[in-house]
Amino acid sequence: MKVLEMRCFKQSGTNKVFRTVSEVKEMEYETIEFIVYLASREIQNGDRVLLGQGIPIAAGLLAKMTHAPNCILMTEAGIIDFMPYKAAFHVAESTTTKGFSYACDLSDTFTTILFRGYVDLCFLGAAQVDKYGNINSTVVGDYESPKMRLPGAGGAADFIAYAKKTVITLRGGEFVEKLDYCSSPGYLTGGNSREKACFPPGTGPSLLISAQGVFGFDKKTKELYLKGCFPGVEVEDIRKSIPWDLKIAPVLEKIDPPTEEYLGIIRKFAPGLIVRKSKDRTKMVSGVVEFIMGKQEKKKK
Amino acid sequence: MFRVNLLLFYIKFVLVSFGENFMVEEEVHDKAMTASEAVKKFISDGESVCLGNFLQSSPLALIHEIVRQRKRDLTLWSTSLIDEADILIGAGCLKRMVTAFTYRVGGATLPTEFERAWKEKRVEVEDHSNYSIMAMLMAGAMGLTFMQVPITLKYTDIFNKRSFMGENKFKEIDCPFTGKRLLLVPGVNPDVAIVHVQRVDAYGNAQLWGALGTAKWSCLASKKIVVSAEEIVDHEIINSSPHLTIIPGFRVNAVVLEPWGAHPAEVQGYYDMDVPFRGVFFAMDANPESLQAFLYEWIYNLENREEYIEHYIERFGMKYLQRLKAKPYFSAPANYGSSFTRESL
Repeated sequence: MKVLEMRCFKQSGTNKVFRTVSEVKEMEYETIEFIVYLASREIQNGDRVLLGQGIPIAAGLLAKMTHAPNCILMTEAGIIDFMPYKAAFHVAESTTTKGFSYACDLSDTFTTILFRGYVDLCFLGAAQVDKYGNINSTVVGDYESPKMRLPGAGGAADFIAYAKKTVITLRGGEFVEKLDYCSSPGYLTGGNSREKACFPPGTGPSLLISAQGVFGFDKKTKELYLKGCFPGVEVEDIRKSIPWDLKIAPVLEKIDPPTEEYLGIIRKFAPGLIVRKSKDRTKMVSGVVEFIMGKQEKKKK
Repeated sequence: MFRVNLLLFYIKFVLVSFGENFMVEEEVHDKAMTASEAVKKFISDGESVCLGNFLQSSPLALIHEIVRQRKRDLTLWSTSLIDEADILIGAGCLKRMVTAFTYRVGGATLPTEFERAWKEKRVEVEDHSNYSIMAMLMAGAMGLTFMQVPITLKYTDIFNKRSFMGENKFKEIDCPFTGKRLLLVPGVNPDVAIVHVQRVDAYGNAQLWGALGTAKWSCLASKKIVVSAEEIVDHEIINSSPHLTIIPGFRVNAVVLEPWGAHPAEVQGYYDMDVPFRGVFFAMDANPESLQAFLYEWIYNLENREEYIEHYIERFGMKYLQRLKAKPYFSAPANYGSSFTRESL
């Protein structure tokens, strides 16, 4: 069946983006795999981690299977302390777990766990992000007549407000001076504006991973600054994608690419990630629609 | 005056409860019905419909039935959606929706019906956060008029931009105990909740396990509840596992037996999500003509869920349906025994 075979797109048409540096065995990897790997490294053993769909679930799975076996993974759907056996398609897909220790309502996850301060780390994807880590995941363009309507805030607005640390991933998104829509609040207007607005102390975005580099937030001004570039990416390349005068760390961190072990796990347990590349998607969409419409016409005849 | 009112209320209550007592036997049998009967009887044009399940075991059989019966001007309440909204909007059933998340496979290559409806203003959408919707439903379920949500939402456009809820989307007060500024949402009671669960008895005691999400509060908040289930089981089975029951039978209006009732969504212990089929849907969803073709092929041209599954098998083969089936992995039984064992009673 042509339609059902689209699963097999997973490894075809891979885009060889980066080459690894010398000390790791030379192998190719996708930007998304690099992002998942970097995100997973933020999870410490023992952390209570709230995961969203896509990159976060894959990162949680990777950390749990490697350096953080004792981390507590949870999703807002009320699947608490789960052991994944493959990356879930969405946050309520408990059929992709090997079991979990606490089944509760969505309301319990938000109130008794998140709002009470028991989430150490959460991950959020963004379509637009500004200088102070405020996030847009709702619309691109004017709210009333947008260029693109995105999924919406989901639980993100509350996650970023209450989790001790938030890692933002910006895979296909952009840096903007002003967000088209503020779905989730970061450091608002910088400085101590977040504390003044009664956000719980000691919370806020801690790291941003883009498709080109890793960014931190200044302790005092809360402004985004470049921490390190991916292998093969120059500071100037990153500057071009940022509409303001980007601050840069005095010493840039060297970012090592994922090892073979990590890559193996990602490819084995989260193959779906790669299908989401736009090149494959376009191919998939046209293939499927043609196939189905064709079959229907045949039927009519 | 107040006393008279109270007396009248009491008389009414006694009458109603007597009336109910006489009707118990009949009502129990009346609850089991087909999806078509349940939707006809309990969902009317213009009503607000709350999707009970949070992504997992989405009540798609009932949603398809709503589409088939061409219900109009509904208001949809749901925290997070995958393909449900696109189906309902594509079929022209929705007037308004309150939601926090409507899935998009991503990127500009795959526009959705939700996006088109948004741009063409065919549907009024109130953007919320998952928890603020949950809070409105929880308040409604508990009989409260409002619920507190994090004040931090005030710094987002969820607070600033308002659609049909307008002034009543959020309100602020000072906490009478601490003096802190509080953000509130109103309690809501949607007209009807539709929910798909693993098993239910003839009385409507519905058991759900896996990702519980919003199921309990969504149903309890609503005025009427329609339950579809993979299996209808004996009351004895429910009685020996009450910890799995999320809705008490006396709240449920209709019980619908609907195996594969959530396909292509997953039901813990029964089947996995049909990812390729959902891929097909999103591919078809990318333009209005192919979406209509999808609706005709999978909903309008079929009578019920049984035909849907038959059509699926005809289209893709039994192998693909079997592939989704869950292998059993039973939960450890809980001992509900006491000094009075069931035998001695």
